[in-house]
Amino acid sequence: MMEGLKNMLVMIELELRRLRHDRTEIYTRAVQPILWIVIYGPVMSSVKAIPTSGVPYTDFITPGVMIQTTTFVSIFYGLTIVWERESGILKKLLVTPASRYSMVIGRSMASGVRAIFQALIILPIAVLIGVQFVPNPAYFLLAFIVIFFASGGFAAISILVASFMKTRERFMGIGQAITMPLFFASNALYPIQMMPPILREFSTFNPLSYVVDAVRGLLITGDLSNLLIDLVAIAIFDAALFILASISFRRIIE
Amino acid sequence: MDFAVQVNALVKVYDKKVRALDGVDLDVDHGEAFALLGPNGAGKTTLIRILTTQLRPTAGEAYVFGLNVVRNGSKVRRLISYVPQEMSVWTDISGYENLLIYAKIFGVPQLERAKVIDEALENMGLTNVKNDLVKTYSGGMIRRLEIACAMLIKPKIMFLDEPTIGLDPAARKVVWERLNVFKKEYGVTIFFNTHYMDEADLYADEIAIINQGKVVTRGKSEELKHSLGGEIIVFTLEKTALKPDLVQNIRKLNFVKGIFEDGNLSVLVGDAESTLPNLMNILKSEGASVEKVSITKPTLDDVFLKYVGTRLEEKGRISDVTHMRDMIRKG
Repeated sequence: MMEGLKNMLVMIELELRRLRHDRTEIYTRAVQPILWIVIYGPVMSSVKAIPTSGVPYTDFITPGVMIQTTTFVSIFYGLTIVWERESGILKKLLVTPASRYSMVIGRSMASGVRAIFQALIILPIAVLIGVQFVPNPAYFLLAFIVIFFASGGFAAISILVASFMKTRERFMGIGQAITMPLFFASNALYPIQMMPPILREFSTFNPLSYVVDAVRGLLITGDLSNLLIDLVAIAIFDAALFILASISFRRIIE
Repeated sequence: MDFAVQVNALVKVYDKKVRALDGVDLDVDHGEAFALLGPNGAGKTTLIRILTTQLRPTAGEAYVFGLNVVRNGSKVRRLISYVPQEMSVWTDISGYENLLIYAKIFGVPQLERAKVIDEALENMGLTNVKNDLVKTYSGGMIRRLEIACAMLIKPKIMFLDEPTIGLDPAARKVVWERLNVFKKEYGVTIFFNTHYMDEADLYADEIAIINQGKVVTRGKSEELKHSLGGEIIVFTLEKTALKPDLVQNIRKLNFVKGIFEDGNLSVLVGDAESTLPNLMNILKSEGASVEKVSITKPTLDDVFLKYVGTRLEEKGRISDVTHMRDMIRKG
């Protein structure tokens, strides 16, 4: 158990060392979310078509856009895994004493670390264009812990997918097919109440909605009435995906 | 005492069709360097992957130091280190960092870590590039880093899948000298696949030749060569002269122990001096004009040719693998 935890930390360390050498991806991936909050947000808020219960529209979507980016980063983390499968890295890792689950959870949480940096880079831009955050450091900290763990779960999805889709091209396709529906069928850009009934049902099972709800409560509205439910949902989501991805991980090298 | 590796009637069938291993029996003493030679698709890599607990055999059993690789996989993984054929280091961090990550995964105690890593770097001649990103390394340096990774812990056995592929002869020599020292100092068993005949000849204590999923012969290099017996007469003929009839006729002669053709005609006989005139006469009477004759003692190459039926193709294979490794490296 201790050893498993230690190996997870080693995988996180690996990711931090990678980031230290090359941060280009963090910057290029920041372009899209910045466009959402700098252009799409102000334009849509001038239309005033979306009821956000008093919160300015750009403020409303900022957590959604942050989560969207971090989710994308995590879902495409599987590409790294596919590359490591094509090379001999995964074979070698699976022949070490480290357990499968510590590799899967470790790599997933490593993606969580990447996600934190990805979310942080959006903050100053949001402040610049006047998004009002709840001025409470504890809330901030909790929000980033939520982002960290949720991203780990999404990265586990990507590891699960990577163990079935063994080429990069296929993985890219399926990655898009997962991320876009998750994003649009969530409360990232509009309240769930605005959706058609069927989508509303789907949204109850959409982990992204819980993450956005938690982070929006902590960073923007300060309304924490749903926080407990959100956290429980994220915990269940993580646990389920970690288990599934660990089970399927072995087939990745066969 | 248990064997370092013991394999009984091992069978591996992929997708219910491809029979990669077809009843392999093998045992390897500890402390020795054991080479597995074979043409492409003979099952060499499959065997290593089963022994390193990556694949489950379809039938039969395999043991590493008395531990069953299927039932005691996690115990086996504590004893072994492994260098896959494909590139297996992270290219976006430095060589030192690669070793650091593996040292931590292998549980090398913190106090020893720096010393162990420096030693491995020194052994593989990478000390002066240790802080450079691996993507700036040459193919040969990457291969050496991978072997350094396998040397970090003092494993009981190292499984090396084509350890020196793509290295130039001088670099190969250095790597093997280090591996030999490592083997002697720590009693590490080395189990390796190779495409370099000379490498098996020089550095392996024992060699097994594997073809179509079966071990066709095994022994020390000298024994294998002796087992062919006698001498080999190589006739260089005009291209058109090498007819199936001719080969058949020579094969029928009672002093001919073996015959192989691979462009040239090689005839294995007990004594070359007394049989050469006879052979020349036959060739002449069949109308084949001989351009050159040479007499050699059997080499490992000839052993391979006898048991497998073709020569080991080094060139194409090696450029395939190095090309593949380059592609992976560039992402």
